[in-house]
Amino acid sequence: MRYLHPLEGETGGSADLLGAKACGLLTLRRLGLPVPPGFVVDTRACRAFLRDGHLPDRFDAELATAVRHLEAATGRRFGGRELPLAVSVRSGAAVSMPGMMNTVLNLGLTTDATAGLAAETGDPAFAREARQRFLAGFAAAAGGAADDDAMSHLRATVRAVMSSWNTPRAVTYRELHGIPHDLGTAVVVQTMVFGNRDRRSGSGVAFSRDPNTGERGPYGDVLFGRQGEDVVSGESATEPLTELTHRAPAVWDDLGAALRRIEQHYSDAGHVEFTFEAGHLWLLQVRPGGLTGRAAIRVAVDLADERVIDRRTAVRRVTQRHLRHAGTPRLRAGEGVQVLARGRGAGPGVATGRIAVTAERAARMASDGPVILVRPTTSPLDMHGLAAAAGILTSRGGPTSHAAVVARAMNKPAVVGAATLTIDALARSVRIGARTLTEGTVISLDGGSGEIVLGDPGTVTATTDEHVDRLLSWADEISGDHSPRPAPQRLDDAHAHL
Amino acid sequence: MTDSTRPAVLHVLRCIGVAELPRVADAAGLATSQAESDLIDLAVSGLVTRTAGEFGGWGLTEAGRAEDARATAGEVAAAGARRAIATAYEKFLVLNPELLDLCSAWHVRAANGTMVPNDHSDSGYDARVRDRFVDLDRRAGAVCAELSAALPRFRRYRARLTAALDRARSGRLEYLTDSVDSYHTVWFQLHEDLLATLGIPRQ
Repeated sequence: MRYLHPLEGETGGSADLLGAKACGLLTLRRLGLPVPPGFVVDTRACRAFLRDGHLPDRFDAELATAVRHLEAATGRRFGGRELPLAVSVRSGAAVSMPGMMNTVLNLGLTTDATAGLAAETGDPAFAREARQRFLAGFAAAAGGAADDDAMSHLRATVRAVMSSWNTPRAVTYRELHGIPHDLGTAVVVQTMVFGNRDRRSGSGVAFSRDPNTGERGPYGDVLFGRQGEDVVSGESATEPLTELTHRAPAVWDDLGAALRRIEQHYSDAGHVEFTFEAGHLWLLQVRPGGLTGRAAIRVAVDLADERVIDRRTAVRRVTQRHLRHAGTPRLRAGEGVQVLARGRGAGPGVATGRIAVTAERAARMASDGPVILVRPTTSPLDMHGLAAAAGILTSRGGPTSHAAVVARAMNKPAVVGAATLTIDALARSVRIGARTLTEGTVISLDGGSGEIVLGDPGTVTATTDEHVDRLLSWADEISGDHSPRPAPQRLDDAHAHL
Repeated sequence: MTDSTRPAVLHVLRCIGVAELPRVADAAGLATSQAESDLIDLAVSGLVTRTAGEFGGWGLTEAGRAEDARATAGEVAAAGARRAIATAYEKFLVLNPELLDLCSAWHVRAANGTMVPNDHSDSGYDARVRDRFVDLDRRAGAVCAELSAALPRFRRYRARLTAALDRARSGRLEYLTDSVDSYHTVWFQLHEDLLATLGIPRQ
């Protein structure tokens, strides 16, 4: 085969050819970690498609062959009534462009296959939900199903994913990030694993170390009974990864072992997207790094202590940007600090204030001291409340929502998408799980890490960070200069000697 | 009955939130004296109210909100414009995430997989963001034209978006995302107006 490559350990190729996602999946395969079987359509096919307006002549025949191999490998039939095979179809360029291109899940769930899945699982509601998700995804990506043929859906979806390389939003993203427009995307086709299969199923994101602090993990979020897209969208209330320890202990153990293996391979922290179906773990994506500055420094120091890397490598990995970030104040953690919830950091900085649940109340209460405006989402009608508040907290929306943009425009610390919060404007209260916080209760939020805590625990900065101190002492050993100088200078001097 | 500008002023407050007189007048495209006269009339009718204080200004009352919903539904029905506005709104929703990407890119930059504040020291990067605003605005023009054809009051957004972008291009960079009349602020209000006009609750 020329344009298609199986996701098997022996498949080789650069990220330029196969895309970063597929290269990560191949690495996982080579490490012996569980990856759903599948294949990748390389970027040459995409470039030919974008250049000529159609795929090369032999492409569809190759696609059919690849599907037959996948059927043989899984013992399932694509679109079939008996043991149906369903696949996910995802973009995967050499450089990550999160959320910019199309994804279709559960492809292959024709009417027959859905009946087959219902019979196989004994769960018609699950099968119906899976088919609905396919139909919605397919309609959004390829404009809807004209027929009930799985192969025709797959051919259309591969083309739609390739076309989505050139949506205006994707073009804008590449312009902003300096990504060349002629790279094209690979397309990853994998056997579906269903995080929404039953109560022993779910999806999540797991880091080998806490991406905000660098503390040894595993750390992350999990959604029980749901597919991975629900985790990434930020619209659902995820639970801390540690929930797995009692609700799916085997998955927790396997995930921990996988993350250790991944760290060993990259000699660095890493994170994965995962799904577990009926208690069985599958990895869907892997990336090394991805830590904030402070966490990156701690991980570099810890990895040197663990003798995974040497001290010179640790110093080399830390950048001025990491050092600057480590200097920003953050919420004090530890004993006596009650974490209420976690959302996504959308406007950097720490804010403490009394809860106000409407813009009007925030504007009124602000004359008596700082308030935190807590809203489901924000509209222009909340602008005066946003202006009055010291910090902003929403239960919905992501880091590029209107609320996040306005918070940053006003230089306010903000946390968005804290999905465990329910705001009751009439009762003037906020519910988080079993706890009810009435208006006026003092809370603090960290717009970097996304943490929301009760009361005012105070802040800490890098001047009190032992890991930064140790890293800089190693930097001095490398440069041979032990005179007192500013931290950025000490790091620069060491880098000049490396 | 003469063509009153009071419903327009009421609807502006529904879309921009609590604001002082000059912003209300600008958003409505009226002289401040006219806007003020309308606001006072509306206040007498109990539809708007003025709150004092640092974060105060003119705003709708509950009755004003209900009256605007009633009047807007009537306006859309009388013009037979619902379908055209709904179609334009779908096109707006395609552009909206891109606009939010651009605003975010103006504030923060990706570096080694994490986000850091854009300190505006890289003029090449800032120029790229501005160019993409201009490109998006060109495409937004088509949506604005469709909306204006369906309901003429939407014309005001085209003028306000252009004014914000022109100011940003002349070097007043706070008019992209940060000022109370920035491109993002006007866009956010247009979004609110579309939801209010179509009677869709904000998600």
